[in-house]
Amino acid sequence: MKLLKDKAAKLSFVALLAATSASMLYTPTAAAHGEKSQAAFMRMRTIHWFDLNWSKEEVKVNDTMTLSGKFYVFSGWPETVDKPEVAFLNVGEPGAVFIRAGSWIGGQLVPRSASLELGETYEFKVLLKARRPGDWHIHAMMNVQGGGPIIGPGKWTTITGSMRDFVNPVTTLTGETINLETYNLENTYFWHALWYALGLAWLAYWVRKPMFIPRSIAIESGKANTLITATDKKVGMAFTAGTIALVAMTMATTNEKYPVTTPLQAGLLRNMKTFEMPAPTVAVKVEDATYRVPGRAMQMTLKITNNGDSAVRLGEFNTASVRFLDSAVLEDTTGYPDDLLAEDGLTVSDNSPLAPGQTRTVQVTASDAAWEVYRLADLIYDPDSRFAGLLFFFDEAGKRQMVTVDAPLIPVFI
Amino acid sequence: MSASQSAVRSRAEAVKVSRTFDWMILFTLFFVVLGGYHIHYMLTGGDWDFWTDWKDRRLWVTVAPIVSITFPAAVQACLWYRYRLPFGAVVCVLGLLLGEWVNRYLNFWGWTYFPVNFCFPSNLIPGAIVLDGIMLLGGSMTLTAVLGGLAWGLLFYPGNWPIIAPLHVPVEYNGMMMTLADLQGYNYVRTGTPEYIRMVEKGTLRTFGKDVAPVSAFFSGFVSIIIYFLWHFFGRWFASTAFVSGENV
Repeated sequence: MKLLKDKAAKLSFVALLAATSASMLYTPTAAAHGEKSQAAFMRMRTIHWFDLNWSKEEVKVNDTMTLSGKFYVFSGWPETVDKPEVAFLNVGEPGAVFIRAGSWIGGQLVPRSASLELGETYEFKVLLKARRPGDWHIHAMMNVQGGGPIIGPGKWTTITGSMRDFVNPVTTLTGETINLETYNLENTYFWHALWYALGLAWLAYWVRKPMFIPRSIAIESGKANTLITATDKKVGMAFTAGTIALVAMTMATTNEKYPVTTPLQAGLLRNMKTFEMPAPTVAVKVEDATYRVPGRAMQMTLKITNNGDSAVRLGEFNTASVRFLDSAVLEDTTGYPDDLLAEDGLTVSDNSPLAPGQTRTVQVTASDAAWEVYRLADLIYDPDSRFAGLLFFFDEAGKRQMVTVDAPLIPVFI
Repeated sequence: MSASQSAVRSRAEAVKVSRTFDWMILFTLFFVVLGGYHIHYMLTGGDWDFWTDWKDRRLWVTVAPIVSITFPAAVQACLWYRYRLPFGAVVCVLGLLLGEWVNRYLNFWGWTYFPVNFCFPSNLIPGAIVLDGIMLLGGSMTLTAVLGGLAWGLLFYPGNWPIIAPLHVPVEYNGMMMTLADLQGYNYVRTGTPEYIRMVEKGTLRTFGKDVAPVSAFFSGFVSIIIYFLWHFFGRWFASTAFVSGENV
């Protein structure tokens, strides 16, 4: 029996040691934002981000970088998600590692929520100022009231330097220049410490006397009235009146010190300026679309009609921020995140230039591990099993036009 | 020593045991209340207490006192009825604020890098001292509910104004006017707290012009009276002793 007990004790100790070591030594960085977990139909059929650019991959503390691009508010917005009538252009980052020095939609500053229209394209820019050193995954992001966060593509960005050097100077309308990073900090600590000390003083007055057992006995024996003395009442009066007086006095002195204050600002920005994309001259009809589960490939049968005056070729299919390119037509030179870029992921059964006035039915295959890695294949488990995306056609002069596709998707399991 | 003998042999020993018991109970009470009250306040007051750009003159003033008078009322009732100790509200608020400061400093600043001048907690101590003071002076739960509850609501905004006023200084930023608190909310990115979630300056209280904070504070005080009544019953129930006869065991 003793042997068993000793063995159990030893094993328990080893298990405890192993668990402690594992928890201490294996601490992976939690740097992503759950972008892969968001329902695939949300990413495919709400906000389509494109032409994204992160101006720098490495930036020093206090320096700035911009995240810019365009987004198309999908006209076939899913019924299960509230429409973006109240939306906020955000940034997905792990804590305030960058501060948002500015953000614009169509050239208008958007510190507040804005109303977006379905079927419209908007140009955006976010100016970010580096604050905390490290490698951070920085995403474009749109929060939609009733819809939740709709995360766009993210790219790893490195901040170098020391956070101690970070400053955030702001000049107020009263002419004072302050560092918002540390402004009002001492004042906050002072008032909290003062009031906490007063609270402790009140507590200290009572706890210096016997508390629970003797007072409980006194109350049980009908002597409750003897427990509060005249001195107690005087002290109580002093604390109560002193507190009210101190609050009134400090309110008055604060108003003298800060004669100009305004309420918090809130409101919705409407009539945001849209970005006029060239009107497409290519018409696309989705004859059918299937997703081949074992092959991690989506295949569409497209009937393409060129109504323009220049021959076109299909160069890109963009869905849920994953870009499938036909490298014979388009090569990415923007430094788009590798994990979201399938440079040869788009295969078209006949991608020869489609002459003006011509109609052609083609098989288009978008295949890449990204279907699995970004959990787009999970679309088949979504409540509304439709896919959507942007097709980019290019003419001989390299002129681009964008066409949206939206159709049911049938999974193929065998 | 037989089972019928006392564990203490002298008055001095009894006093010593009693004081030890005092400190044990107070220590436990402080941290139990800290935990319970903190969770309660985070769930009900939440963002209004977390961020400076939520601390407005309408909803913060209204909501924060109403949801925060709960534990002070209950603990005050318990300590007053059982022990005639008038520090229930203060001990609650001291516990809450300690927990909040630890949370704001270690979590908000330490883990997610929000500056403390953006995420400090609201000051509830003036209301707590007055609530306990009225309990002591009046010795009546009804009086404490009516006067103390009202004072709790009324003192909240002025008690916090010296801390938040500097953040209500206006600034022109890229062609728009905002307060420094608004700018903090804009600058320091909260991925999961978009601007539209912010419940500030909403409502229909528009006939008082810019002097809306006192009206909100009065309303908050009135509702705090009701909440005080409700929660003081919880405290009394919690402090009650029920004996069951041996036959029913």
